[in-house]
Amino acid sequence: MKDKLKVGMISFAHMHAASYLQALLARKDVDLVGIADENRERVRPFTERYGLAYYEDAGKLLAADVDAVVICSENVRHAPLTVQAARAGKHVLCEKPLGITEAQMQEMIEACRANGVQLMTAFPCRYLASVIEAKAAVDRGDIGRIVAIKGTNRGTMPGGWFVDRSLSGGGAVLDHTVHVMDLMNWFLNSEAEEVFAFAATLFHSVPIDDAGIVHVKFRNGVIASLDPSWSRPAAFPTWGDVTMELIGTKGSLFVDAFAQKNEIYNNERMKPSWSYWGDSMDDRLIDAFVMALREGRDVPVTGEDGFRSARVALAAYASAELGKPVRLADVEADRR
Amino acid sequence: MKVSIIGCGTMGITYAKNLASMEEADLAGVCDVDAARAEEAAAAGGTNAYSDYKAMLEAENPDVVCVCLPTYLHKRIVIELARLGKHIICEKPIGMTLEDADAMIEACRQYGVRLFVGHVVRFFPNYADAAGQVARGETGGPGVAHFKRYGSYPRGNGLWYHDRSKSGGVILDLMIHDIDFVRSVYGEADTVYAAKAQSGGEDPFEYALVTIRFRNGAIGHLAAYWGYPGPFTTAAEIAGSQGVLRLDSATSRSLVVTSRDEGREGKAAVQVPQSPMRHDPYYRELKHFLECVRDGSEPVVTAEDARAALEIALAAERSCQTGQPVAIGGNRP
Repeated sequence: MKDKLKVGMISFAHMHAASYLQALLARKDVDLVGIADENRERVRPFTERYGLAYYEDAGKLLAADVDAVVICSENVRHAPLTVQAARAGKHVLCEKPLGITEAQMQEMIEACRANGVQLMTAFPCRYLASVIEAKAAVDRGDIGRIVAIKGTNRGTMPGGWFVDRSLSGGGAVLDHTVHVMDLMNWFLNSEAEEVFAFAATLFHSVPIDDAGIVHVKFRNGVIASLDPSWSRPAAFPTWGDVTMELIGTKGSLFVDAFAQKNEIYNNERMKPSWSYWGDSMDDRLIDAFVMALREGRDVPVTGEDGFRSARVALAAYASAELGKPVRLADVEADRR
Repeated sequence: MKVSIIGCGTMGITYAKNLASMEEADLAGVCDVDAARAEEAAAAGGTNAYSDYKAMLEAENPDVVCVCLPTYLHKRIVIELARLGKHIICEKPIGMTLEDADAMIEACRQYGVRLFVGHVVRFFPNYADAAGQVARGETGGPGVAHFKRYGSYPRGNGLWYHDRSKSGGVILDLMIHDIDFVRSVYGEADTVYAAKAQSGGEDPFEYALVTIRFRNGAIGHLAAYWGYPGPFTTAAEIAGSQGVLRLDSATSRSLVVTSRDEGREGKAAVQVPQSPMRHDPYYRELKHFLECVRDGSEPVVTAEDARAALEIALAAERSCQTGQPVAIGGNRP
């Protein structure tokens, strides 16, 4: 087993980078080599505070002595950066959604395979304690066989590059379908076969979708729906939610992943706020990535997982455009 | 005003109790083909029991008749009552098909009697408040709304709910409450898509997920569940451009009783909503409909609203069968 893993970070465009950085810095088995970001000001607070090397060019970081990189760029850059990292022989932890087209994601997966490096998709929701317990309950058969799932990943409109299609590739439906979709794929051990969706701009003055409902039919016959809308107003006490209701032949199960919170009523804020006190999911995600690489095991959430989930969001857009259900090709079967 | 009841299942007994306590109404007979049920409702409402509705109408000569029969029987009895000049309060859904609904509405128009359909959710104070808040603009422009209605698999007399040709299933019978409500909030529907999971046998369940796109752009997403092992639960979230409104029967309980006696019989007693009020929503509903009869005013929920909710419910059923979205109220493909 490797004693230490040398990790670099590429781009802090996505705010999750700051949380992953904290998780990496907290580990004795990780050497943080530095941060690459074309926007120096964006990362200066981190490089200065923690005395980290700064790279203007990701290529320079990839040329350094690094085992793995964490990519938190804008969505459209996930593919070129991942391919570049793979060719440099670096393992990759890539922020979700994995990519913005199916072909691009296939290219990322293939580049990592060809260069003998691992690709992990950052789906931290798999590491929520309630989700882990729910999965165990389902696997034990506590609610029988699952027949339906209703999920929500409602959030706050993030603004910035997220609402610029040339950088994000899509709005709320892409941003917030993938997390819970991955959980559904994982719980069901099946894949989406058909997708029907509505996508719209209803909540904010933005040039991209901020609302939708995505219906999914899985290959194993399970039906599901998901609300990925950026529908939490500024007045809402928290950023959003991750919920999943599973209907089984013997009962049902409800996960409200961020229900572990205290309620705060403060005169200066003049709105209630929720303080989450549950376990950090990002710590566990980073732990899973680092330990898999140190021990030479397969990463637990793969590029294929990222592909399976993001393609549902892409199919949702196609369906919303067509006004009809869209069937997904059985890519896995081709690969087998 | 003399009011009779035909059908003494759960709803008939609920109506009897409420009408008996209402100053505006004289409960004038209850009827059920099952004499024991009729006796039970008569005792609850302090009135006469009948097992033949014709005999009841003859003897009691009511102004208004409440139809609390299984859905598939609504059409025939409503048309007959209309011919006899009786105003009618009919349980939801209005009927099994749009043709039935049209025939019922037309008969009532033809014979000059009023027809009200018991979409009681309009009279639940939490839902009525929600509709008012949205109408006042508290949540801003149209957005995405969720509705949830979970209960045990209903065990009507002779298990008529289990027979799809008599009840229409969970969408037509249960979700139709939320279909009517969301339509009252967002207006006319444009498209419906739906999917369902169900199982028969010893331990039946039926779970439906329905999405309605409205002409104003709003998206309504509804879940209904027959066979839920927990207590009856309803919840809604209406998110708009300026805010979010949420209601949940599970978190608005104003009374919690926990007794050490519970479970002594080996099984916990049936759980009932612990949110007591002076009058239940059926009281408000019946009182409102009787006022409309008295002064000729329009009810908050009309027979045409009931027909429109049925149209959406039937479209959702069709979508479940075909896997395709179904357009509402037009000849679009």
